Amino acid sequence: MLQHVFNGLVGGSFLALVALGLAVIFGMLRVVNFAHGAIYMLGAFGALALTGEAFWAALVVVPVGLGLLGMVLERTVVNRLARLDPLYNFLLTFGLTLVLQDLVKWRYGVQSSPYPTPAGLGGSVDFGLFDFPAYRVFVLVVAAIVCFGVWFLLSRTRLGLIVRACTERPELSAALGVNVGRWVTPVFGFGVALAGLAGVLAAPMRAVHPLMGADLIIVVFAVVVIGGLGSIFGSVAAAFAIGVLQALSEAYLDSALVSQILVYVVMAAVLLWRPSGLFGREESPA
Amino acid sequence: MLHIEELSASYGEAKVLTSAGLSVAQGEVATLCGRNGAGKTTLLRCVMGLHPGSGKVSLNGTDLRGRKPFERARLGLGWVPDDRGAYATLTVAESLALPPMRSGWSLEQIYEAFPNLYARRGSMSTKLSGGEQQMLALARALRMGSRVLLCDEPTEGLSPLLVQRVGEILRQAKQQGIAVLLVEQNLHFAAEVADSYYLLASGRVQQTSPADKDLLTYLGV
Amino acid sequence: MRKIALLCGVALVAAGCGGGGPSTSGGGKLSDDKVVFGVLNDQSGVYAQLSGKNSIKAVELAIADYKAKYGDKAVAKNIVVEAADHQNKPDVANAKAAELYDRKAVDAILDVPTSSAALKVADVAKEKKKLYFNITAATMDLTGKSCNKYTFHYAYDTYMLANGTGKTVTDQGAKSWYLVYPDYLFGQDMTASFEAAVTKAGGKVVAKDPAPFPNASGDFSTYLLKAPNLNPKPDVLGTMQAGAELVALVKQYNEFKLREKGVGLAVGLMFLTDIHSLTPDALAGTTYTDAWYWNYDLRNREFADRFFQATGTRPTFAHAANYSAALQYLEAVQANGTDDADTIVKYLEGRTVEDVFLRSGKIRAEDHRVVHDAYLAKVRSSKEVKEPWDYVDVLKTIPAADAFRAPSADCKL
Ligand SMILES: Nc1ncnc2c1ncn2[C@@H]1O[C@H](COP(=O)(O)OP(=O)(O)OP(=O)(O)O)[C@@H](O)[C@H]1O
Ligand SMILES: [Mg+2]
Repeated sequence: MLQHVFNGLVGGSFLALVALGLAVIFGMLRVVNFAHGAIYMLGAFGALALTGEAFWAALVVVPVGLGLLGMVLERTVVNRLARLDPLYNFLLTFGLTLVLQDLVKWRYGVQSSPYPTPAGLGGSVDFGLFDFPAYRVFVLVVAAIVCFGVWFLLSRTRLGLIVRACTERPELSAALGVNVGRWVTPVFGFGVALAGLAGVLAAPMRAVHPLMGADLIIVVFAVVVIGGLGSIFGSVAAAFAIGVLQALSEAYLDSALVSQILVYVVMAAVLLWRPSGLFGREESPA
Repeated sequence: MLHIEELSASYGEAKVLTSAGLSVAQGEVATLCGRNGAGKTTLLRCVMGLHPGSGKVSLNGTDLRGRKPFERARLGLGWVPDDRGAYATLTVAESLALPPMRSGWSLEQIYEAFPNLYARRGSMSTKLSGGEQQMLALARALRMGSRVLLCDEPTEGLSPLLVQRVGEILRQAKQQGIAVLLVEQNLHFAAEVADSYYLLASGRVQQTSPADKDLLTYLGV
Repeated sequence: MRKIALLCGVALVAAGCGGGGPSTSGGGKLSDDKVVFGVLNDQSGVYAQLSGKNSIKAVELAIADYKAKYGDKAVAKNIVVEAADHQNKPDVANAKAAELYDRKAVDAILDVPTSSAALKVADVAKEKKKLYFNITAATMDLTGKSCNKYTFHYAYDTYMLANGTGKTVTDQGAKSWYLVYPDYLFGQDMTASFEAAVTKAGGKVVAKDPAPFPNASGDFSTYLLKAPNLNPKPDVLGTMQAGAELVALVKQYNEFKLREKGVGLAVGLMFLTDIHSLTPDALAGTTYTDAWYWNYDLRNREFADRFFQATGTRPTFAHAANYSAALQYLEAVQANGTDDADTIVKYLEGRTVEDVFLRSGKIRAEDHRVVHDAYLAKVRSSKEVKEPWDYVDVLKTIPAADAFRAPSADCKL
């Protein structure tokens, strides 16, 4: 039981990192970034491109590189969305997903690419009641540190203060002298970098293939909706909760279908009960 | 100080302001009256740059056309909106710390003038009472060192005692040479602080006085 | 009877003589004066590597071999390959198959992975009365309740895989099994076949778990955590996952060190390309059933070398089987001097066939199953890999007669 919970937390780590980026971007830009799954995939392929062994370098270089790419994308295309119908948001970021996927397919093929467990993390950690692969423990620790770091940044620093204010009420914040526009690009880049980091972490333990993000992002959207769109704490909490729920349902329920749709059932229930998600707020008036 | 000329604005097809104009001088409190839906809030939003309008708006001789809201705020416009501008994710202390320019009242002065805010400095702003939120909005503008306050119905829904308090604060600001463009329906309150009166009707602004019959009948007082 | 034999003889002579001059080259007997293959498969998704575009190359090799063999005497002078991507979606497969037969004048459709899509194409073939050689789908229904006159099933099916792997691994001493399968038609079929094979060999399935399909998280750790703690502890974990999911599961199997914990690994369906992407060490020691292996003997190797020149990779069994199907079809056209579907079907039924893919091959008349030898293979560790792509040892050959299920009563042609 305990080990399944622990395992669920590891699964939740990926959801949390990707959902966190999605939430930050949605909060600041009011853009639902459908391309976020493709970024996760790019993160894994980025790790691959830096020739397997250099995992530790990839852990830093790839998210930073993708963050910069995200900033370029924001400046060139995403910023045009603000004035348009939300439908274009979907079309653009979804189109971006297809482009990124096809570029990777063209370069690496559709085959899963091999990626070794990083040196030094191949062993197991003994928890007394059960032992667990060291790499998974590492993933959980990294995710926890990043989530805590983001929480700290947002709640305890001036930067976080500005981001929260701009996220909640961009117009009011502008009227109080905050240059909202200046923060949009870096925040977008940061959200993208988080997804990239999740991708790098996924490379050694999951199949690295062009569609890996497309599969994940659907669950992440459910997580974000459950947590409350744009609610940072909500997204992270929901991610870990869903991770554990999935692990337990797979372990103890005899139907794959049920564990598969469970997350959507939870989503529907939450939406009926609290339409803006567990930790979401009603859209504040402009 | 603040000078508005031939300002017009609309929502889609619906014209709200057609050639509105008024001026507020340093240390002057100008009250803008008008029926519900006359366009008072719209006028303030145009001045702040939050709603597109054509016409001329200048602050201290600086043309504000083409300037973004945050630039206008930094040039000295203080925004005290009709919804009181509270954040659900920012505490009172954080709300006061948010604006990048904090050249006005010191934090000590603020907390001395608004002891309630001090007591609740750790609470989320939207958790304050309506009156406290109004105080916070005023305090924030004073802390920013704004030269012109744009106050949209600051006494709405406040108890007489608190209305008094708002009056005191506005008089204090006036003494410091701050100009106030006050949108107000409560003429008794306005009479205590205002130096000049404007009536907004049919998209135009005309100067008037509390003794003016037109104004009184217009407001139905 | 004699009349027919005579007619055939005349046709053969005509075809033979026709070789002399292009104007009389038996062209009149070919629909549209040409033979057209339609390779319908997944060209960009999860099955694109194991078959995909390289299967077109395999078919082109067959065409080249046919032309080289018959030269001027070839009945089919003009042979065209049309390709279409069905994205593993049954409805797309359905539409594309109809388009290939009707508008591209295709005489025979080849390949078609994904069981549900494969069954749709069988229906189209039946309706249009045109040939269809399925290679890459595993479902038993193609030679069971969905069989039809114009459909032939090549290469493999779930019975062959389970019978090979399930039986052998049990015989080798792994008596208790834990089965994990993707929860859709293929996985369910495979699990049923495996359970039957294991039980028949004296083993026991102690637990079986359906895993979500598609598995959005790519995470199978729940089952891997569970495996060593089952009571009784299974000797072997049998996975029915395929493609990217298999890759993820095996990766995690190694991460959880199940081999060290005494739980072996058996794989239901695996292609050479899966081993390549996992690296052999991730699978070292794993036993599985292969329909064909490129480095089994010199004859296979020679084909594999030509394939390598054309594609830069070694062929999977799906590639070799596509080659074989195209070649056997052309041989049938050559023998009959026509590409008329009914004539070809009649010719193929019950025929003994042999080529680089088909060893001890026979096309069963009863259900159109193409039977042939299959192989039990074991993945090498990277130390034992002496040459790129040479990842497995063939442990034994499963004779054609034992490798496949006997014709099913469900099939009425
Ligand atoms: N976002 C909007 N879209 C369309 N019309 C609007 C919008 N905001 C205001 N209006 C319309 O513009 C007119 C002026 O509105 P405004 O809020 O400026 O009036 P006001 O004088 O401030 O009224 P009140 O005294 O009720 O605050 C009204 O008729 C209102 O219905
Ligand atoms: Mg108003």
